Amino acid sequence: MDPLVYVLDLVVFIGIFSIVSLSLNLEFGFAGLANFGKVAFVLVGAYTYAILSQIGIPFYLCLIAGASISAIVGFLVSLPTLKLRADYLAIVFLTVGEILRLIVKSEDWIGGGVWGMTVSPAISLAGISARIDTLVNIGLVYFCLFICFLVVQLLTNSPYGRVIRAIREDEVAAEALGKDRAKYRGQMLALGSAIAGLGGGLYAQYLQFIDPYMFMPMLTFTVWIMVLLGGPANNWGALLGAGLVMLFDRGANVAKDYVTLAIDPSNLQYIMFGALIILVLLYRPQGLLRESQVKTKAMEIVRRGRDAVKNK
Amino acid sequence: MEETLLRISEVSKHFGGVYAVNGVSLDIKSGSIWGLVGPNGSGKTTLFNTVLGLFRPDEGTIYFDGRCISNLAPHEIYALGLVNAFQLPRLFPGLSVLDNMLVAARGHQGDRLLNSLFLRKSWQRQEAELADKAVEALELLQLEHLAFSQAGELSGGQRKLLEVGRGLMASPTLLLLDEPAAGVNPKLGRRIFEGIEDLRRKGLSFFIIEHRLEILFDFAHWVYVMDKGKIVVQGKPEEVVENPAFYQVYLGE
Repeated sequence: MDPLVYVLDLVVFIGIFSIVSLSLNLEFGFAGLANFGKVAFVLVGAYTYAILSQIGIPFYLCLIAGASISAIVGFLVSLPTLKLRADYLAIVFLTVGEILRLIVKSEDWIGGGVWGMTVSPAISLAGISARIDTLVNIGLVYFCLFICFLVVQLLTNSPYGRVIRAIREDEVAAEALGKDRAKYRGQMLALGSAIAGLGGGLYAQYLQFIDPYMFMPMLTFTVWIMVLLGGPANNWGALLGAGLVMLFDRGANVAKDYVTLAIDPSNLQYIMFGALIILVLLYRPQGLLRESQVKTKAMEIVRRGRDAVKNK
Repeated sequence: MEETLLRISEVSKHFGGVYAVNGVSLDIKSGSIWGLVGPNGSGKTTLFNTVLGLFRPDEGTIYFDGRCISNLAPHEIYALGLVNAFQLPRLFPGLSVLDNMLVAARGHQGDRLLNSLFLRKSWQRQEAELADKAVEALELLQLEHLAFSQAGELSGGQRKLLEVGRGLMASPTLLLLDEPAAGVNPKLGRRIFEGIEDLRRKGLSFFIIEHRLEILFDFAHWVYVMDKGKIVVQGKPEEVVENPAFYQVYLGE
């Protein structure tokens, strides 16, 4: 295979997983919701895209529909789990992911069951090389990534971002300070799932094929490693984590083609991910990048006030 | 004009067979400082938590501003302007002191999802006003130099002060304070109460639990004494100290 295509392929994967990692960072890093079922929302986005594009709906509407349906699923999951805290919530999400995967696996009519289904690419130009095709995908993916990043960056540096962080720190105190926990949790899960669903749609159209085995819990854990490594509650950290983990992940796939090791590089990679996560949590629990402060006008005003006092 | 702000009517709250609050009735009128004292375990904090909606009363009703609030959720009660500062500070340790203050603001436009994204102009103006207010309150509490520190790094006394400051940020009509002067040095304890008195002149009302009677009695207009879940003595501070029942409750004979 063309070596440049390997690199371009990696860039696309980093983009798609950056989107998913931003969504988990929003839910876990900022809002403290341990979503261990991220794969479920990627799956909803991917299958929605695949099914709708098959009946000839334009790709952008398919992406939007994938994000919207994923958001609805996310919101629905938030309703019965309102009173659950960290670990219990994580278990529910984990099972939601598995349930959805088993449904698409056993219900042939949805997406071809275990045989999966082919997906038409978002933008297909006749007779172009693999390089150009990948470049087109890079354009599409990074455009979506830019929008998602802008939204989460604006949101987390606003009073709203302050409230969701406060709820993460102490739910009872936040409620006593007039913050409706149920409302914020529902909104966070809906928005986080929408972003993950968008990532899922992009994933499906890029690979041009989906089957239930692509949506194993391992995908969720990979995204978790990205967030924990990059630094929870830091949007740049989510991008950095996605970049590093994907470099590693795709690198192992490439290595498989060229080198012969006693152990399959893809399996070795899982072992190394496990070790990495333990090391990160032991030695740098805040991740590579620290939590960013809530940057609003208020910070500036306090700073300016201080300078004024100094200059007197 | 004095009007009844908070009316607690025959309220009881029990945990298993133990009545923490047993048929308490009292009125809090606007524009004054009201004290609530009593030995440990007499049900003062439980009464506060019941008023705040953190506990649901087993019997009785609570009215705030003429409206029954016994069945409202804590955040709804907060929205009405009935605000509290916890006895054991419940700060947001990972957030800065400034953010801890700002998050307590009531009716902030930017607290809504869509506003925070699309109506940035309107909430930023509000944010600027709140920042000024936060700085003012932090200066009163001598915490201004720590505005950007994480709340989790503060000392015990500073946490207590920040908890009080957070209560002030909400522009409440009635502020419930649970031992605001506990754990801070006597001079600062008095300063806190002087700050409270200033705010009272501006129209705020306070309902305060405090064990430091020497400070509380200098500032309170009316004191309720609670024992074993009941109000046993009430009156002006100078009357209460004359009452033998008060001594019996506090010192035991």
